[in-house]
Amino acid sequence: MNKIFTTASLFIALSGLASAAHQLTPESNVIFGDRDGFAITNSMIMVWMATGIIVLFCRAATKKMTMVPVGFQNFAEWLIESLYNFFGGILGDHLVKRTFWFFGGTMLLILITNWLGLIPGVGTLGVMGDDDKVTYLLRGGNADVNVTAAMSIVFAVLWFYWAVSENGVKGFFAHIFAPKGDFSGVMRVGMVAIFFVVGLLEFVSIFIRPVALSFRLYGNVFGGEQVLETLMAMGGPYFAFLPALPFMFMELLVGLLQALVFTILSAVFLKLICEHSDHGEDGAH
Amino acid sequence: MYTILAANVFTKILDDFGVTAPLFIAQVINFIIVLFVLKKFAFGPIQAMLEQRQNRIAEGEEKLKRIETQLAESEERSSAAIEEANTTAKRLIDEAKDSAAALSEQKTQEAIASAQGILQKAEQSAKAERSQMVAELKQEFGRLVAATTANVTGKVLTDDDNKRINDEAVASIEG
Repeated sequence: MNKIFTTASLFIALSGLASAAHQLTPESNVIFGDRDGFAITNSMIMVWMATGIIVLFCRAATKKMTMVPVGFQNFAEWLIESLYNFFGGILGDHLVKRTFWFFGGTMLLILITNWLGLIPGVGTLGVMGDDDKVTYLLRGGNADVNVTAAMSIVFAVLWFYWAVSENGVKGFFAHIFAPKGDFSGVMRVGMVAIFFVVGLLEFVSIFIRPVALSFRLYGNVFGGEQVLETLMAMGGPYFAFLPALPFMFMELLVGLLQALVFTILSAVFLKLICEHSDHGEDGAH
Repeated sequence: MYTILAANVFTKILDDFGVTAPLFIAQVINFIIVLFVLKKFAFGPIQAMLEQRQNRIAEGEEKLKRIETQLAESEERSSAAIEEANTTAKRLIDEAKDSAAALSEQKTQEAIASAQGILQKAEQSAKAERSQMVAELKQEFGRLVAATTANVTGKVLTDDDNKRINDEAVASIEG
């Protein structure tokens, strides 16, 4: 960090000026520390900012809570309740009660991080090093594979924990490998073989899911930022904002859609593995 | 060989995208902390309030159901009580009517008896008075006849004369 600031001059540029010469790199920039050791990156700062905004919003909404909600509290309750009901529709009553903290938190975090990435200065405000490389002070949180991969891996671990706790170890493997349907005789043997192969494929897909989740989110957000930068470069030094303006609205939508896609897919993956146990419970009730 | 190739490709991808173990681990820890903070300070209070409100609504609905049941029971009980009261009142009215009729009859009979007694007494009294008056009249008439006879005849009448004249006079009246 010190090295960067001592050897660099402060570089504040409007997007068009900066992006013309300095395109965003696929990797995040280290603001403090060492990339191979302890480091604070510009994407980390954005995630913290997003967390801070969500927490501040919720704290403000819950400061003077009343049984009959008004104003800010009303909006916050509407938001949380809508999210809860939305995920409840996918996961069912039992699972959503257990897992809403993850899906709700991840959804809001991705959404706010994506939208924060559109604020002027993010990806454009930075310091220029000796090697003519710009270290951007802020970067869209999800335009860093480390962030999206961390989310995906945490989900994958939680998915495994929830799946095993809902089905049991035996039920978990049976859910993947056991034949579905009622077969007997030779048919049963054949089905066992087929479903074993299907289970292997399912197993591979389970390991691919976090990779797909993380790169889908990263690709869309990073791609969006690249598009905005390129379009701003087309506008020249004085009208850089103009070509990118329509795409800012599109990026708002993309930010929401990607938050939805990540969390909906995660919820569906969880629902698929827990489906049997849920049926069992419904039957029990 | 394929494994080495795959590993090389994987490492290259990670390098290209700036993924390093320390950064990745830091982001994982970061994300877990963020989730915890959101759960504790963001969703926790709001969800608690939503749950509290839901419980209150459920309690309210439960109470409403209980009140409806109690109301239905109460209505049933009150209608049964009203029915019973009506029956009792009807019975009492009938009894009162019967009793009143019996009492009235009794009083009427008593009045009749009393009136008859009064009449009888009056008759007896009248009879006695009449007999006394008749006796007195007879006596007076006899005395007057005897006095008239004595005045007309100029004779002093003895007690036997007086008795005979009286008897004759009375006999003539009665005859």
